[in-house]
Amino acid sequence: MNTDGLMEMSFYSATARRRASQLVDPGTFSELLAPNDRLVSPHLPELGEAVSFDDGVVTGVGRIGARPVFLISQEGRFIGGAVGEIHGAKMVGIFRLALQAYETILDREGRVPEERRPAILISFDTGGVRLHEANAGLLAHAEIMDMIQETKGKIPVISLIGSKVGCFGGMGFVAAATDVIVMSSLGRLGLTGPEVIEQEIGKEEFDASDKSLISRTTGGRHRYIMQDCNVLVDDTIRAFRRAVEEILALPYEEICHYRRIGTYPLVQEQMALVQQAAELMPGDSMDVWRCYGNDEPELLPEWELSEFLCAVRRRPKEVP
Amino acid sequence: MEQMIGRGREAITMIVDPDSFQENQVGGVSFPADYGPGAVVGTAALEQQPITILAIDAQAVNPRFPVVYFGIIGMEEAYKMACAVYETIQADRQKPVSEKRPLLLIVDTPGNAPGKVEEIYGMNKATGAYQLALAEARKCGHAVIAMVIGRAISGGFLCHGLQADHILALPKAYGTMIHVMPLTSISRITKIDVEQLEVLSQENPVFAAGVDFFYQLGGVEEIVPDPGRMRERITAHIAEVKALKSEGSFDRSGPWSRGELGAVRGGRRTRKAVLAQMESEFSAIADKYIK
Amino acid sequence: MALNHLEFSYDGVAGASIPADWSHSGVVGSGDMEVLLTRKAQGGKVVVKVCTPVCGFDQVWDKVLAHFVAESGCGDLVIEINDNNATPFIVSLRLQQALSEARGGDLQ
Repeated sequence: MNTDGLMEMSFYSATARRRASQLVDPGTFSELLAPNDRLVSPHLPELGEAVSFDDGVVTGVGRIGARPVFLISQEGRFIGGAVGEIHGAKMVGIFRLALQAYETILDREGRVPEERRPAILISFDTGGVRLHEANAGLLAHAEIMDMIQETKGKIPVISLIGSKVGCFGGMGFVAAATDVIVMSSLGRLGLTGPEVIEQEIGKEEFDASDKSLISRTTGGRHRYIMQDCNVLVDDTIRAFRRAVEEILALPYEEICHYRRIGTYPLVQEQMALVQQAAELMPGDSMDVWRCYGNDEPELLPEWELSEFLCAVRRRPKEVP
Repeated sequence: MEQMIGRGREAITMIVDPDSFQENQVGGVSFPADYGPGAVVGTAALEQQPITILAIDAQAVNPRFPVVYFGIIGMEEAYKMACAVYETIQADRQKPVSEKRPLLLIVDTPGNAPGKVEEIYGMNKATGAYQLALAEARKCGHAVIAMVIGRAISGGFLCHGLQADHILALPKAYGTMIHVMPLTSISRITKIDVEQLEVLSQENPVFAAGVDFFYQLGGVEEIVPDPGRMRERITAHIAEVKALKSEGSFDRSGPWSRGELGAVRGGRRTRKAVLAQMESEFSAIADKYIK
Repeated sequence: MALNHLEFSYDGVAGASIPADWSHSGVVGSGDMEVLLTRKAQGGKVVVKVCTPVCGFDQVWDKVLAHFVAESGCGDLVIEINDNNATPFIVSLRLQQALSEARGGDLQ
């Protein structure tokens, strides 16, 4: 099998299982609750909906160097990657195992060496709660947010967003709450999906059929300008993998500087941003890009990624 | 029966000691009166002890963000509440767990603000920031209690409610609504008749709308029979959570604990099996990963 | 309302199973399916279990599956399929891919 060829593969079109296995060192990925466990949703059949042996999420563990890396990789093709009872519990399970691994190393050695500090990677591809088992999905989101707070000061959590469905609904704030966000230009991140805004407020507010509007409002480049996305990469598994390696090579303290929320000073910085929103009231993201010194904002989506990264002016950060 | 929907401010008065609520004052900060008007924050006394109040004013309209009205939580509202939580943590930082003031969330919200400006600037960060702040308060020893008096809907409930240690709710008869989506909308999306969904939901609370179903799923600790009992029950739950935390039992309240409660009450059985299976599979290979 | 569970059995080639204990491929997307192959010595027999929201196409499944078993020359296998409205063409294609992946072929 030619692993190099697979690494050049588009992250956007890769299945959840492929993304999970290729983000860690070759041959180190072990899937937990793999398809042969045959644990399928007990709720979907009641509604006549097809089931999947992984419930739309691949969970497992691998290594990058000496570091144990715990993975969650969502499959957007299965009911839009939506989170039901099993899917949500698998995500919670990964957080539990990663935190336990941290505690185990700490107990044994009295400290956790940087190069062996466990990490969590989440490859998002989801619209949030699965309506067919909505209540369980909702409650799982709360557990995941609780777990993310529990990781603070212990282990890094990195979000990877560049798949078909993007990352919306409750998973939009789960991603925001993690330490680092890596996206490709094709990645989408938000809370309320375009269709829902159109339905709730009207086509004048948001035309959900306008692909470039969606990209400008929720896409990787916009999120990078806003400092929500920390690292913007090409659409290959290799590029995401390299970004993860580079981030994890940093001391944990430095990784924490990538956060956008999660402390009082960061919240105050975001409040200043909301103040700016109220004053500017942009009709389009391009108004915001211009305000940060991008004189020809309409060109930003057109550039090659390397050109974009050289030329773009991002929101100035106040909290280092 | 008199409904409490839209009466967040009255609920504060019904719960705390008379005339004790100081709006916009929390710890060392006083919030500008017109900031995030959909969120009511402040400090009150409950049985002569200080308590931080985080409520929703469904009658307020945010003049800067037109989609924020009717109890919707916008960016200002979420960050305002997050600030109030961080101020509370700071104010009691030196105090032992038994003396840390509780936080009371009065819940009546249809959701987070859905708008273009909100998406451009990141409503996901605002709601996420508030949830992380609440989780931090809970983990550093404050008792966080949520009282659902009206609507606790989907992302709104996640933002303002589901990070609490204990969640209490008024019964359905008072117009309380807890759901992700009403059955009519689920019916439209899944193309299953509402009648059939109603029948199915009697057997399986996992997609049904309503307080009673959330109770079965462990999503609500207690249903408080009428508004007149809110003060008493909230006081009791604060004492219970405080006692747990004073003895170091931090995992016996909050979202994780409600997961366990879901299995005990029979509404969410699969979650537990998933967690157990993952743990057992990992323990068989852990040596390969943790040297 | 429930999902439809179908089970079929065919005579395959004894010993013509897969190298690993099990192998999985595919995604239960709309109009698609996943396949879980499990090695099982049963005198060459191939047992196929299908879980699908679609009713009333048992004979179509039978034809497509019988054809696959005969063409591929596989045996000693349990094939489990979670289907979400895949067409007969997709079913054949996914089964071939599943077997090829299980035998260490190209992962495309």
